[in-house]
Amino acid sequence: MSGPGPPDPGTGPTIDRYLAEVTARLSGPPRGHAGIVAELRSGLLDAADAHRSAGLPPDQADLTAIREFGDPAQVASGFTAEIAAGQARRVAVILLVTGPLVGLLWIAAAARLGIRIGLPWHWTGLSPGLRVGILLVAGAAGVTAWAAMLGIAGTGRLTRWLPARPRRAPTAAAVAGFGAVGADGLGLVLLAAQLATAPGKLSPVPAAAAAAAGTARLMLANRAARRCLASRAALT
Amino acid sequence: MRAETLKGHLDGILLAVLEPGPRHGYAIMEALRVRSGGQVDLPTGTVYPALHRLERAGLVQAAWSAAGGRRRRVYQLTPAGRRALDAERSTWRDFSAAVSALLQPAPPAMSSP
Repeated sequence: MSGPGPPDPGTGPTIDRYLAEVTARLSGPPRGHAGIVAELRSGLLDAADAHRSAGLPPDQADLTAIREFGDPAQVASGFTAEIAAGQARRVAVILLVTGPLVGLLWIAAAARLGIRIGLPWHWTGLSPGLRVGILLVAGAAGVTAWAAMLGIAGTGRLTRWLPARPRRAPTAAAVAGFGAVGADGLGLVLLAAQLATAPGKLSPVPAAAAAAAGTARLMLANRAARRCLASRAALT
Repeated sequence: MRAETLKGHLDGILLAVLEPGPRHGYAIMEALRVRSGGQVDLPTGTVYPALHRLERAGLVQAAWSAAGGRRRRVYQLTPAGRRALDAERSTWRDFSAAVSALLQPAPPAMSSP
């Protein structure tokens, strides 16, 4: 699918004004609005053309097309749920993709700590605090993964069979985002604690990479989760 | 017919309008008006979000096309959309048959001798 392309040259000032009113009322980040507005514009122009062919003078044709289109606030609010769902889906996909990557870096950073595959109480040489911390990071990562999968499922093909609940996907994406904030934030705390107590047990390059990636993901996830909460609040 | 009256049926109606072939937004509105004999006259702008929802559910697919110098988003049914339309039709047949039977004036009650 190609992008919306440049604006149609045939737009009259009345239609432009109307579209500006709709655009101002659309929810979510403005960069997602271009495609919607381009589609509405082509629909309005087609309708105005039809009225012109039927004999109306050009400005009357534009006004009639606008009247048929509906109140700008009503048109814009019709897109609120769709915009929120698209945003939730993007956030969930990004979190689900970046999770394992950042997770692998954390695992690499902790490789020399003495964690072996196996049950946590078999891990040797770890302080009880570090054990609990690592389990909490894993738990938060698990919550993130589940919530992200729920967010993706709730915005795709499954919506054919699921009852329509517009707030479900933004909620799931926000939970996934805050889960990632928890996992990465706690990972950074554990890393700092380890640096303060026994820095020699850390693998320096993976630890630095994990710290950088974890910080970036934490900030991204925090912002995304807040946005999803905001769009959730806009849904009545 | 107002939007509230159509609530719950708009998805099926849009799928039906797309059954004969791909259409862009304005052509969909026009088909709604013509096929309903002018009875369905929704605020045009409210139909687009419904089309986007159907697209997300995989019942229609959309692509930009530039026929005639104007770029339009063209919608067409997917195989899943066709199946959903069939299901919608049979549900509606059962429902409307039952409601028609119920709304029919009942025959006068037999008076006892």
